[in-house]
Amino acid sequence: MSAKPGKIFIDNLWFNNPVLIQVLGICSTLAVTNNVRNTLVMTVGVSLATAFSSWTLSLMKDLIPRKVRMIVQVLVISFYVILIDILLRAYLPDASRQLGPYVGLIITNCIIMGRAEAFAAANKPLISFWDGLTSGIGYMAVLVAIALVRELLGFGSVLGFRVMPEGFVPWTIMITAPSAFFLVAMVMWLARNLQARREAAAKAAKAAKAAPKPAAGPSPAKA
Amino acid sequence: MFQKQPMMRKVLWALAPIGLYSIWAYGLRALAVAAVTFAVGVGVEWLFERKKGGKTSEAVLVSCALYALSMPPAVPLWIVALGIAFGVFMAKEVYGGFGRNVFNVAIAGRLFVYISFAGALGGAWLPHGGFGMAAGSLLGPVDAYSGATPLELMRTGGSVPILDLLLGLRDGTIGEAPIVLILAAAVYMAATKTANWKLMVATAAGGLATAGGLLLAGVAKALPLESLLAGSFLFVAVFMSTDPVTAPKKAPAQWAYGLLIGAVAVIIRTFSLFPEGTSFAILIGNSFASLFDRMAADAAARKKARLAGAAGGAA
Repeated sequence: MSAKPGKIFIDNLWFNNPVLIQVLGICSTLAVTNNVRNTLVMTVGVSLATAFSSWTLSLMKDLIPRKVRMIVQVLVISFYVILIDILLRAYLPDASRQLGPYVGLIITNCIIMGRAEAFAAANKPLISFWDGLTSGIGYMAVLVAIALVRELLGFGSVLGFRVMPEGFVPWTIMITAPSAFFLVAMVMWLARNLQARREAAAKAAKAAKAAPKPAAGPSPAKA
Repeated sequence: MFQKQPMMRKVLWALAPIGLYSIWAYGLRALAVAAVTFAVGVGVEWLFERKKGGKTSEAVLVSCALYALSMPPAVPLWIVALGIAFGVFMAKEVYGGFGRNVFNVAIAGRLFVYISFAGALGGAWLPHGGFGMAAGSLLGPVDAYSGATPLELMRTGGSVPILDLLLGLRDGTIGEAPIVLILAAAVYMAATKTANWKLMVATAAGGLATAGGLLLAGVAKALPLESLLAGSFLFVAVFMSTDPVTAPKKAPAQWAYGLLIGAVAVIIRTFSLFPEGTSFAILIGNSFASLFDRMAADAAARKKARLAGAAGGAA
């Protein structure tokens, strides 16, 4: 697996985005995105937990017997999640209270275990850390975009500052979970459409280039 | 521009008298709501169908008509536009357009704005009659009207004269009130096989039975006859539960579907914070429609297998 940091970053942010393409971490997308501040706190927590647990698990990977690796992964992940929970309680008690059980539930976020299984189990510690961090950033990008729309329409504010004019009627549905379903679906639709269009354009360019020569075998599989 | 759909045209004919009633009751206000609904609804469908190279369906006209008739008369027009755009886009076009939608388009749009702007829509009633004159001016007043619809009166324990309910002489959404016209439309649609009578009867029966049961169980608010006539119950039973796309296709499934809608509508109406539950009931019914169809098909297959087995044994 040739892993270049730049390619990993772009993949995790866009071509293999954990929410848009892998469809992981959807529960927290629905639960915590009605307010930008809490979303930021939550997604930073997930990014750090993913980064550090990928790093640790990559360090330990030769020591873990295959049969019990899942248990070890969960133990390592919960260790970091508990650290994050304690840090939040100490420094951001407000956000911690509002997020409630969702901080503890970071453990169940599939992205963390997904990266541990799919990347950290076969790569060096430092690059695993980077992969975990950028996966978290990809997750953050989508969630913050959704939270921006939901907070703007649901409360008329962004990060707690009122931006909508006086007569604005708040959209109650944006505060409740169903709106996150619609918005996630719409963002996914948009992203996949853009990617499909790009892919089609790339294919057309390749075909134009290869036109003089006869087609040579199947095209290389895309990562 | 439009795909020809004779069935949908018959529904439009059935809706026409109710549309005329709405003009008598709310005047230009009703026309304005309808104009916005049709412009936005047809526009959204046209945008998507053009991309796919398909034709705009006449079904979208029915959806728009039903949606406009189910709006409260004093609703702000931008809310009307938002709701129908959401309905046609999220409930129809993302599923692949006409014939593929799981949920009723008009109801999805209505519920989206109903949940979002419960405050703005809950107080958007106008007094009916005189081509909008009863509401104060031809263009409809801007000031709030604090009257209660019969449904709200019933919830608070007031009584409503049945005759006025039957004739539609009461406040409500733009087109839900004229019970006589709705019943006439039901007979017309059932006679021309535009809509399935089983669905209408099952929905009404489900509502009546549930309200009756609740009354016997000691819930004083549940009045079987009044709850059928007040609110949008009959309108929904006749026009929404019979939507050929989102309703089940097999007869036993249709009975179960109608009964479920009627029962859920009355239960939500009686016990939830929302005064009206028919829209929620339709969406809940929609989500069970294909399951009911499947169960009916399975049951039919089992019966056939049993008969074949019996015949084989005899031979």
